[in-house]
Amino acid sequence: MTPKETPPAGTAMEQSPGCPVPPASADPAKAVLKTSRRGFLKSSGLLSLSSLMGTAALMTQSDEAKAAVEWAEHFQKNYRLMTPEEKAEARARLERRYSAEYGKAVTVDTTDAQPGVLMGYALNIRKCIGCRRCVKACVAENNQTRGERPGERIEWIQVLRMERGEFSKDKMDHGYPEGLGIQVGGNAYTPAGQVLEGQYHYEPEAVPEKDATYMPIACMQCEKPPCVKVCPVRTTYREPDGPVVIDYNWCIGCRMCMGACPYWARRINVANPVLPKEDMNPVTHYLGNRPRMRGVVEKCHWCLQRSRHGRYPACVEVCPVGARKFGNLLDPESEVSLILARKNVFRLKAELNTFPKFFYFYD
Amino acid sequence: MKKLAFHTMIIAFCCGIAATAFAQDAEKKEEVCFESRKGASEITKREIKPGWPNVKCSPKTGAALWYGDPYEGTVPMGKMPMLDKIPEGHALVKPRSEKLSILPMCGTACHNGVGPKFSPPTLPKDKKPTPIPTMESLLPDVKDLQHGRGRIWCLDCHHTTKRNMLVDNFGDPVSFDQPQLLCGKCHGDKLRDWRDGIHGKRIGEFASTGKKRWFVCTECHNPHNVQDGARNRGFVQLQPESPPQLPKGMKDANYEKVHPIAH
Repeated sequence: MTPKETPPAGTAMEQSPGCPVPPASADPAKAVLKTSRRGFLKSSGLLSLSSLMGTAALMTQSDEAKAAVEWAEHFQKNYRLMTPEEKAEARARLERRYSAEYGKAVTVDTTDAQPGVLMGYALNIRKCIGCRRCVKACVAENNQTRGERPGERIEWIQVLRMERGEFSKDKMDHGYPEGLGIQVGGNAYTPAGQVLEGQYHYEPEAVPEKDATYMPIACMQCEKPPCVKVCPVRTTYREPDGPVVIDYNWCIGCRMCMGACPYWARRINVANPVLPKEDMNPVTHYLGNRPRMRGVVEKCHWCLQRSRHGRYPACVEVCPVGARKFGNLLDPESEVSLILARKNVFRLKAELNTFPKFFYFYD
Repeated sequence: MKKLAFHTMIIAFCCGIAATAFAQDAEKKEEVCFESRKGASEITKREIKPGWPNVKCSPKTGAALWYGDPYEGTVPMGKMPMLDKIPEGHALVKPRSEKLSILPMCGTACHNGVGPKFSPPTLPKDKKPTPIPTMESLLPDVKDLQHGRGRIWCLDCHHTTKRNMLVDNFGDPVSFDQPQLLCGKCHGDKLRDWRDGIHGKRIGEFASTGKKRWFVCTECHNPHNVQDGARNRGFVQLQPESPPQLPKGMKDANYEKVHPIAH
């Protein structure tokens, strides 16, 4: 290095080799207090001690179950790394807290995946009438927030209204649909093949409408889930029996998974969840429908609290036309296996190689 | 004076009790919701255990939205060919005959086949339906039968002499609780799919040998009006549930069509 190239900071260092003092700045944000190492350690030690004492004082003052539980929750491990004893402890803690909060006996299930079960789902796209009963059943079962203000209403299933294709002579000179730019599918006269946010908000007197088909979308429980790949804290993962689940306690709310999901399946609690006591479903699963907190992501998990005990998910049970089918993919006699063997089946966005376990079919 | 005050107190007390009783009556109004299609089957809401209802109904449409007990009011399905793998008592149905209000009269009042006027029973001479005003007022659907496009008539499905029964291909009676045995005569592909759980609806346990409540044909389809006129669909139209919240900043559902998105 030639003396010519020596930076000015280096010259400053040369001027006071024993005690490095940074040059004073006019910016108040960069102002540096002149403290010794000993003094800094002393003050920081005092600060942490006092904050600990403050927390302890807070905890002893409010003898509510909630405060004590939150304290313990901060130190709990990722669900996958917990020992069975720690899981039982976490479960008892949550049960105590939820029961106090919602005024009824709430159970938090921690049943693991059952051997020999790989859950699969099928939906008859021709049968769906777009009545949205599955959407509301899901909310009734899974303790989603249901307030009125923006961001306080979460629904996991979206029903997309799609216009039927057509070819009519009088529209032949219209060209591309106005305002929508380049045609990306469907036919040349109707804006098909493009999903608009407004397509979820249809509200006719009666469904099915004459010129519409409906496509319900929720989490596809991919075999290669992009959301799992991007999660920086590894709180979302695929369970051995199929569903992709979330340990809500470890979610940091970064929304990486929401951006990665090609099926718009994930929702975030931007506001404090609104869940009335009388509507709360007291049968919950740790990885499933237990009440969530603000700032965590949630999504469909095929009603783990039900399906781990052999019961159909809530959306399957209320579909008035029987379009929704659920079963064990490893059982050749199950509904879903028979549909795969017999019907015309497709997966949504199969080209992305996410390998969903949610199949659309038609007769 | 003391006596008067005492009486007033008693009256006031009684009034209080009566008022609370009336208030409770008003609150306890039964909540009934329909299951698949309106008018086919209903459930009355009640509490199975504290905080656990048997069903949750939609406040908007009155449809059943959630089952606390999927097997409520069910009976074993009875014998069905090709369903022998399912253990005894694991295939359940809700009896249809309880829902059909005029069914108890059918076999006894008019169509008993042995009445004093009809001895020996007079059977229809041909397959041309004759309009019977009493019948049409009891069951308005029969005035305009929307099934089979004019190629079938009443006694293709209903038993000739036992009118409280349906009829199979051999002329043997079939119960109203097992309409699948009748419908499968023509709709064999649908019967096969229904038997395998692909067509129609089942609730309960999802395992192929699990305990399930099976919805039978007539719980979802009205057999006298399956075509539903010009719509020509098997399932009648329903009122939909409320739409989701609009995204922040979006005034209405047509927003994107008015404010085009750039590509």
